[in-house]
Amino acid sequence: MKLNGWFCLKLTLTACDVLFMHNNTLNTLAYEACPQCDLLLKSAAVAVGIKAHCPRCGCQLYRPRHYSVERTFALSLTGLILFIPVNLLPLVGILVLGNAQEASLWSGVSTLYAEGLWGVAILVFLSSMAFPFLKISLSLLVSGHLYFDKPNRYLKVWLRTLQHLDEWAMLEVYTLGIIVACVKLASRTELKFGLGLAAFIALLLVIVMLTSSLDEHLFWQRIAALNKQ
Amino acid sequence: MSFSNKKSALKQGLIRCHHCGCIVQLPVNALHSKHLEPCPRCDGQLHIRLPNSFQRTAALLCSAFILYIPANVFPIMIVTKFGVPEHHTIISGIISLINSGMVPIATLVFIASVLVPLIKMLGLAILLWAVRHRWQRNMRVLTLVYRIIAFVGRWSMLDIFMISILVSIVSSEALEQVLAGPAATAFAGVVVLTMLATNSFDPRLLWDRLRVQ
Repeated sequence: MKLNGWFCLKLTLTACDVLFMHNNTLNTLAYEACPQCDLLLKSAAVAVGIKAHCPRCGCQLYRPRHYSVERTFALSLTGLILFIPVNLLPLVGILVLGNAQEASLWSGVSTLYAEGLWGVAILVFLSSMAFPFLKISLSLLVSGHLYFDKPNRYLKVWLRTLQHLDEWAMLEVYTLGIIVACVKLASRTELKFGLGLAAFIALLLVIVMLTSSLDEHLFWQRIAALNKQ
Repeated sequence: MSFSNKKSALKQGLIRCHHCGCIVQLPVNALHSKHLEPCPRCDGQLHIRLPNSFQRTAALLCSAFILYIPANVFPIMIVTKFGVPEHHTIISGIISLINSGMVPIATLVFIASVLVPLIKMLGLAILLWAVRHRWQRNMRVLTLVYRIIAFVGRWSMLDIFMISILVSIVSSEALEQVLAGPAATAFAGVVVLTMLATNSFDPRLLWDRLRVQ
């Protein structure tokens, strides 16, 4: 174990060869494989605040979190509530000849669609509205079931879907888009920031915290334990 | 530390479920069978390696390369001021940002919409080349390249999102109007295709080709 940076401890797992027990059965829980170089590793209990790394390729294997289920549950509930103002209220606006023109998440999609760029419109709709919504609601479903210890046969499907659409929800990138658009406009006209933008920034923070608090390793273990009951 | 004597999980008859990460014992003689049982923990389909990883990545990467040309040649944004249309490509948009004195923003846009797609496509091409020609050195660096490509991928969408905001906000026909150009579709295609290519590439292929001493 060695110090990595200022505050985070780094643990490298040890590589190993399989030890078969009698009649060729194997305790598969005792092993881990690196997802990026397939080196077989010995599982280790990793404490909160320590990152476990693969010794051969340096890939981060897992990083446990404090109260992962509870935090994910609370944050996804917050996110779902924030989703309403973010989609209803305008984000930014400008004043043209006395009347205000405003942009919201949906108005960008509908203008692009009306212009005939339906491919771009669908992509923007999916990555800024549909996938973030699915991501938050799936996290709420999974963490809620785990929090209240309720088994559900769809838990596995939900968590797998959540893992695969995770990178297609791009609210962080959308924020940068807003900033660049604002800078471009600010040189010409006066900008008006709506309440929707405040809600958007809050939602962005919630989603970033949600992503980092969801510990997939722990979630899969909990689901397996829940289904065994 | 040397790992040349360490065998991969697959060589010891174990596969890792790429959904939930648990280790599953490979049934005897299942190495070449197409259909494995689903993962016992998450019910997801098990794969020894990502299916047709090399071919899929190469095909998606080629399509992205082809789409990159119209994305840079055609205008991505058409600004009409007092009835005079002005066509902006990705590069000319950045140049006009520099000319109006917004260098930090110009750098940001340059990184997100020129540098990142290029790095992604070149990096993936190098990774595919390394797999094809069984490179034996710098495995750690190549895996790091893969991780950087996977992390950086989504940030190229910046330009598309910026256009979607500008298009909806600046639309008064009298003074000024912003329209999205045909390059927007091509550029969005480049971003999506390179992200799909990164997802279908399996970095374990690099390590599989390492000769065990």
